[in-house]
Amino acid sequence: MSLIALETLTVRYGEIEAVHGISLAVEAGEVVTLLGANGAGKSTTLRAISGLAKPASGDILFDGRSIAGLGPEAIVKLGIAHVPEGRRVFPGLTARENIMLGAANRGRLARRVLSDETDGMFDLFSDIRPFADALGWTLSGGQQQMVAVARGLMAKPRLLLLDEPSLGLAPVIVQKVFSIIAEIRRRGTTVLLVEQNARMALSVADRGYVLETGRLALSGKPEELWRNDDVRNAYLGGKAAKAV
Amino acid sequence: MDLVLQLLFTGIGIGAVYALVALGFVLIFRATNVVNFAQGEFSMVAAFIMVVFAVDLGWPYWLSFIVSLGGMALLGALFNLGVYYPLRNRSFLPVIIATIGASIFLANSVLALYGPQPQVLQGWFDTPGIQLGPVYLDSQYLLIIAVTIVLVAFQYWFFEHTLLGKKLQATSQDKEMASLIGIPVSAMIMLTFVYSALLGGIAGILVAPVLFVSIQMGATIALKAFAATIIGGFGDVAGAIIGGLALGVIETFGAAYISVPYKDGFAFLVLVAFLIFRPQGLFGERVAEKA
Repeated sequence: MSLIALETLTVRYGEIEAVHGISLAVEAGEVVTLLGANGAGKSTTLRAISGLAKPASGDILFDGRSIAGLGPEAIVKLGIAHVPEGRRVFPGLTARENIMLGAANRGRLARRVLSDETDGMFDLFSDIRPFADALGWTLSGGQQQMVAVARGLMAKPRLLLLDEPSLGLAPVIVQKVFSIIAEIRRRGTTVLLVEQNARMALSVADRGYVLETGRLALSGKPEELWRNDDVRNAYLGGKAAKAV
Repeated sequence: MDLVLQLLFTGIGIGAVYALVALGFVLIFRATNVVNFAQGEFSMVAAFIMVVFAVDLGWPYWLSFIVSLGGMALLGALFNLGVYYPLRNRSFLPVIIATIGASIFLANSVLALYGPQPQVLQGWFDTPGIQLGPVYLDSQYLLIIAVTIVLVAFQYWFFEHTLLGKKLQATSQDKEMASLIGIPVSAMIMLTFVYSALLGGIAGILVAPVLFVSIQMGATIALKAFAATIIGGFGDVAGAIIGGLALGVIETFGAAYISVPYKDGFAFLVLVAFLIFRPQGLFGERVAEKA
C-alpha cells in the first residue's frame, strides 16, 4: 500500500480548475518529485494533500485512509507536514520559536524534549544556529528556508511536502537545501517535492511526475524523465506557458 | 508643582483604563485583522453586571467581581461565535460592520433591561485615599494603576514565555501557516476574544466608581482607547499602553489648564494631529514585515 495516493483528484479555485483528475502515488521511504511550469497545478496538489484546498472530486488516501476534506490541523496530526511555497516563517517569532512550534501537532510534549529536539535541528541546520534568537523577518531567504524545513521536520512527519524549496535562493544555498533533502531521505522520511528546478529535483528523487496545466503528462525514473524532450519543454515552460 | 504631580497621578490612573481597553483592541486586531468596535461595550456591560450584583442584590464586592468576569468570559465567547466566526472568511468590512452592530445591540439591550438612569458603583476600598506629601492618592486610582501593572506584566509573561502565548502570536502573524503546523486556529481566536472581553470588563469595573455607570460609558471609553491605539501605532502592544497613558495625562492636563468642558475634545485633537502628522503612531515604524 502506498503511503499516499491521489485518485483522480480534481481541485478548483472558484471557477478555475487548477488540477484535473490526477492520480499518483508515493511509497514509504521514497523521494518523489512533482515537476512542471508555473501554473501547472503543483502547489495546488500539495495544498489539497495538506488540507488547505478542498478537493472538488477524487480522493486522497494516506496509509489507505481517505483524508480528503479534512482540515489542515487534522492532517498534520496524522503525520503530513507541509513546508509551503514562500517559506512562511512567522516574522515576529525567533528562528528557535518557529522551529519549536513545528511540534504543535504532536500534543503536549515535555519542555525538555521540545528544547532537545529543537537543538537537534540546529545540528542538522548548523548554518542557522548563530541566528537562533533572530526574529523571522530579519533572516535571509536561505536561512528562512532552513527554518521552514526544520519546522516541518519537528512535526515528525511520515510524509514531508516541500514546495519550491529552492525558489529565490542563490545557487550555493540551493545546493545546501538539496543536500539537506538527501539527508532527510537518508533518515527515512518520505518526501514529495515540488520544484521548478528540475535538474536539482531529479538529482535527489527516486521517481518523478510531470504536470502540465493541471494534468499528469509523464512519470518515471529521473534518468528517463531527464532524457525526455517533453520534460525539457515542461521544465522550460514551453507548452505550459502558452496554455496558461 | 504640587498640582502637576497631582494631575499626573490622576492622568495616569485614567490613562491606565484606556490602556487596558486599547490592549483588547490590539489583541483582537492582531488575531483577526479586524477592529472590534464593540470593545467599549465590554466595559459597559461588565460595569452594569457589577451594579446588578454588588448594588442591587447586595452581594459582596469580590463575589460580584468574579460573577462579572465570568459573564465577560461568556460574552467574549458568544461574541466570537456570533459576530466574528460566521464572517471569518469574508473581507474585513463585513466583520467591522458586524462589530458596530453588536455594539449597538449590547448598548440597547442594557438600556432595555436597566433603563437610562446612570448608576453609581462604590469603589473597592472604604478608605478614599492617602496623602503622600503634596499628592493625594485616590484609592480607586491606585487600584487601577496596580491592576494595570499586574495585567501588563502577566500578558508580557504569557505571550513571551509560554508555548500557548507563542502559538497565539503565530496565529496572529499567519493563520494559514499556523493551521499547517497543527495550531488550532479557531481555539486561539476564541481565547483572544475571551481574554479581550475580560480586559475590557476589568477596565469597566475599575473605572465605574470614577465615572457614572451609564449606557454611554462604553462608547466614550472605546473612542479614547481607539485614539490611544492610533497614537501608539496600531497593532503595537507597547504602543497601546503608552498611548493610553499619554492620552489620560493629556486630557487631565488639558482639563485643568485649558478647559473642563472640552476635556473629551483633547483626546480627539491629539488623535487628529497624529493622523495628519504621524499616522503610523509612536511605534509604527517597528511594525516591519519582510515579504
